[in-house]
Amino acid sequence: MGIQKDRLRFNVGGRVFETTATTLANAGRNSVFGAMFDENWNFQSTNSDEHFVDRNPDCFGVLLDLLRTQELYLPSNIPEKLLYREALYYGLLDHVRAAKWGQFDGNRLRLSQSIAGQAPGDGTAIRAGPDGGCCVAHGSMVHVYDWMLEEHPPINLDYQRVNDVGWIDSESVVVSVCERLGRGEGGMGLFSSSTGELRYKFHVSHENQAKSFTAGALSFSSDYKIFSSCKGRSNEYGVGVWDQVTGKQIDFFYEPLGWSLGDADKLQWLEGTNCLLVATLFPRKDNCYISLLDFRDKNMVWSWSDIGAPITVDEKRVRDAIAMEESNSICVVNEYEDLGFIDLRMNGGSIRWSSRSRLMKGMMPDEPCYPKLALHEGQLFSSMNDSISVFCGPDWVLTSRLRRSYGGSICDFSIGGDRLFALHSEENVFDIWETPSPPII
Amino acid sequence: MSNQKKRNFQIEAFKHRVVVDPKYADKTWKILEHAIHEIYNHNASGLSFEELYRNAYNMVLHKFGEKLYSGLVMTMTSHLREISKSIESAQGGLFLEELNRKWNDHNKALQMIRDILMYMDRTYIPSTQKTPVHELGLNLWRDNIVHSSKIQTRLLNTLLELILRERTGEVINRGLMRNIIKMLMDLGPSVYQEDFEKPFLEVSAEFYKGESQKFIECCDCGDYLKKAERRLNEELERVTHYLDARSETKITNVVEKEMIANHMLRLVHMENSGLVNMLLDDKYEDLGRMYNLFRRVPDGLPTIREVMTSHIRETGKQLVTDPEKIKDPVEFVQRLLDEKDKYDRIISSSFTNDKTFQNALNSSFEYFINLNPRSPEFISLFVDEKLRKGLKGVSEEDVETILDKVMMLFRYLQEKDVFEKYYKQHLAKRLLSGKTVSDDAERSLIVKLKTECGYQFTSKLEGMFTDMKTSQDTVQGFYASHPELGSGPTLTVQVLTTGSWPTQPSITCNLPSEMSALCEKFRSFYLGTHTGRRLSWQTNMGTADIKATFGKGQKHELNVSTYQMCVLMLFNNADRLNYKEIEQATEIPASDLKRCLQSLACVKGKNVLRKEPMSKDIGEDDAFFVNDKFTSKFYKVKIGTVVAQKESEPEKQETRQRVEEDRKPQIEAAVVRIMKSRKTLDHNNIIAEVTKQLQSRFLANPTEIKKRIESLIERDFLERDMTDRKLYRYLA
Repeated sequence: MGIQKDRLRFNVGGRVFETTATTLANAGRNSVFGAMFDENWNFQSTNSDEHFVDRNPDCFGVLLDLLRTQELYLPSNIPEKLLYREALYYGLLDHVRAAKWGQFDGNRLRLSQSIAGQAPGDGTAIRAGPDGGCCVAHGSMVHVYDWMLEEHPPINLDYQRVNDVGWIDSESVVVSVCERLGRGEGGMGLFSSSTGELRYKFHVSHENQAKSFTAGALSFSSDYKIFSSCKGRSNEYGVGVWDQVTGKQIDFFYEPLGWSLGDADKLQWLEGTNCLLVATLFPRKDNCYISLLDFRDKNMVWSWSDIGAPITVDEKRVRDAIAMEESNSICVVNEYEDLGFIDLRMNGGSIRWSSRSRLMKGMMPDEPCYPKLALHEGQLFSSMNDSISVFCGPDWVLTSRLRRSYGGSICDFSIGGDRLFALHSEENVFDIWETPSPPII
Repeated sequence: MSNQKKRNFQIEAFKHRVVVDPKYADKTWKILEHAIHEIYNHNASGLSFEELYRNAYNMVLHKFGEKLYSGLVMTMTSHLREISKSIESAQGGLFLEELNRKWNDHNKALQMIRDILMYMDRTYIPSTQKTPVHELGLNLWRDNIVHSSKIQTRLLNTLLELILRERTGEVINRGLMRNIIKMLMDLGPSVYQEDFEKPFLEVSAEFYKGESQKFIECCDCGDYLKKAERRLNEELERVTHYLDARSETKITNVVEKEMIANHMLRLVHMENSGLVNMLLDDKYEDLGRMYNLFRRVPDGLPTIREVMTSHIRETGKQLVTDPEKIKDPVEFVQRLLDEKDKYDRIISSSFTNDKTFQNALNSSFEYFINLNPRSPEFISLFVDEKLRKGLKGVSEEDVETILDKVMMLFRYLQEKDVFEKYYKQHLAKRLLSGKTVSDDAERSLIVKLKTECGYQFTSKLEGMFTDMKTSQDTVQGFYASHPELGSGPTLTVQVLTTGSWPTQPSITCNLPSEMSALCEKFRSFYLGTHTGRRLSWQTNMGTADIKATFGKGQKHELNVSTYQMCVLMLFNNADRLNYKEIEQATEIPASDLKRCLQSLACVKGKNVLRKEPMSKDIGEDDAFFVNDKFTSKFYKVKIGTVVAQKESEPEKQETRQRVEEDRKPQIEAAVVRIMKSRKTLDHNNIIAEVTKQLQSRFLANPTEIKKRIESLIERDFLERDMTDRKLYRYLA
């Protein structure tokens, strides 16, 4: 189609547009324009002929500019949703998404939108999806939003309290909930993110008997495994492993005596070391237990706990932990947002607290939220009260702080699909932070 | 919650107002259905993509996705049924062509239908988890065409028959084959495997089973291999032309198994043309082919290797044990070298220099060379021969090659110390008689031996060279300090360090008075410069040049041994001497004297003495005269000594005994060295360690090692453990 006379004339909803076949070729074969100019279809391309398209001319103009410049400029008189609908018609929705926001950089984030939900009660967790969508867990419900921030049918698993959620891909979400005593309900399920349908329910078997269980923290690996901390009623305390493709349980790491795995607050799969980080933290338990599990030989290869540590005056208790494979350490945070580091290369080491300013001390809000940590491409994020701090560099210096006064403390946040989502504990609202596209020159 | 309810209510009201035309969905579907018909009927030029896309879009938008999807399935299925009928009715060879044409049509139609239904593909299908349009089109083609009862077996049989025809030499339409096979692959790996690959492999196995049976009955091994190779290449070519690349190993495995693995032993042992015959006749090409084919099957190469090894061992054994062939040592070694060259060439040109084959060759040579206990002696004799005369006029590189080859044989020897013994003897003779052709070649060989066996092995040999050099200087010094000796006989002395040389204690014979006076002078000169040394004369090893005038005044210079000189000098004062008189005057040992007289009197053309009676052997009562009638074309006459080049039986025994004696201290030294570092060790381990340490020089005999250990125990170097008698302890 590139060889034919290049100029084209469209009449879209009564307005005439002139463009070139080359510009339209940017849309790709899997778009209306790609099909239209395929040799299979008899497309007359004489200059005098206009091609009538019965669609909205304003949106067509915006989308034509998107094909011309690879950037998206949305005039205020066009509703966003209308543009998305038109883009879907032409098969250009992926182009719009790619141009909507820039590549993620923690130091260049701008607040893009705040979404208020209608759920009662406090937020439990928010998880960013791979393509810019997110899901928010409140009590026993999970609300799913696509990247256009359109809400899809909500998800629940037997209306049990949700402990964690996670995205396997942009189409599927795993939800882990509490066990409903005596009914065999609860546990863990896989749902369609667009329709909210339950596609698969995961099972735990102990000595070849299916058991009902409470599923806790979740983690996924790139070789299609699902990890979840599990709590049953007899021996099924530990970490279960399932195959994402077949849904079958493939492994179980039983909790050793005097240690905690089944109650874990956080699981993190480490690709480089082929190990799973399991962290059970205060106040779920009186003590903190952090360990690395190697499933190949059922070995706890590294562990740390504050059992027996002297209680200091300022009482530094670990509230969240995250493994940083590149620097062979685990970063932890306490309720004053002090960062601490534990060396992964030796067992039984102690926490090296960084002597960062302790501004937060003494100005705690009425309803504090425990701090959370996240790591994204060499940038460390830590939430505290109503703000999120960004740390960079080998010494993790504070480089940015994200804050929005409305909504109260941040109870959870998540990074994914080049977006950061922050869930507030009051007002049922979550914020979407994006990196703007780079400057023109 | 109340908010949501209100919204639901609104949507309901909206719907009622919009869908005014209850037949809207049917009408729109009719338009799309018509378009699909037109597309399949090659009549799409009048269709407007934009309009059709909009219609399909509207159907999905107005919640008629299910109707659209099921309509598509039905319409496409009915078209495929029509297509199936037209393919079925195609006659003979046109069957595949028709199938291919319809497949292309279907693909094109499928693409266009997908274009129209793109919106459904993107929205309705993922949310309802239905099969996307393209995949659906392929599945329907598979179920209605490829798996239809009238086509499935016919298609398979046609494909297999075409391949059979190609195998029997016909030319088939490969392009068409490729397209049809590609179609099966496009329909999914399971379709290709189940509907084609599996039966194809079975039929191929059957075909090659039959063919290999036929070939093996009527072809010789070389021809058979050629045919197998050609078949293998044909199958590889077939894969690249029209099969899935993943079938390559599967089909080659079939050919390898049926044509090679199943007939391996029969091929190798085939009468008059098998592996042994190929080796005998140097059939490089056939051997290379066999190697390349057998490499592909399990146990293939080990089979070749075993047969080759046993063949080399067998022929080698004959070579080294055949009494006819060991008569001439030089010839013997040359035969070994030729044999080695032959197999080196085979391994390098046919077996791609395969390390395992080289190792097999080496171990075979090592095996049979050591079957003949005289091999070390013969190899040394071969070197002797080469260094005496064989290397004259040969370029330096060629000399190196010959020496390298000798070294290679040397490496196979287990009794390297025996070789050393002989080499020392032969080198001594060469040096003392000044017979060595090239000093460089001699030294080069010493260097090679040194790198092979270490400094210790060659230190004595090097000492011999040093002696030669210093002797030259000493003689010069002697004459420089005695200027009065200008006239009269000239004395050249080689002072040999005891121990470096293979000297035997021998009785010094009586030298002629002129000579003994000269020798005395030299002795006092030498001892004057080197105090604390002892000098004894080895008259059995010297030579002399003497001038003689015969009866009619013929003058000749005679090159003789020292013994011969002593005998001849007696005739300056006497015309006739009998054996007893000569023996008394010279005191030469009887056996040497007999040999010496034999060479002076009994060799034709060299008989400077006359003997009575005239017979070949020397008797106790024989009398000798100067042969006045002696003539020779040459002024210089060399009187050789009758020497046995090879060692005689008693000499051999003696050498053997000396070797055994020399080994004793070496074994003891090894035992002590090992025990010193290990402190305690049991019997079997010590035997193993000693054998290992000494194997670069000789293969130590376990009983001998045991004897040496016992001797060491007697001398309090070691003791037996009190509780475990098999355990030895080192005593510091």
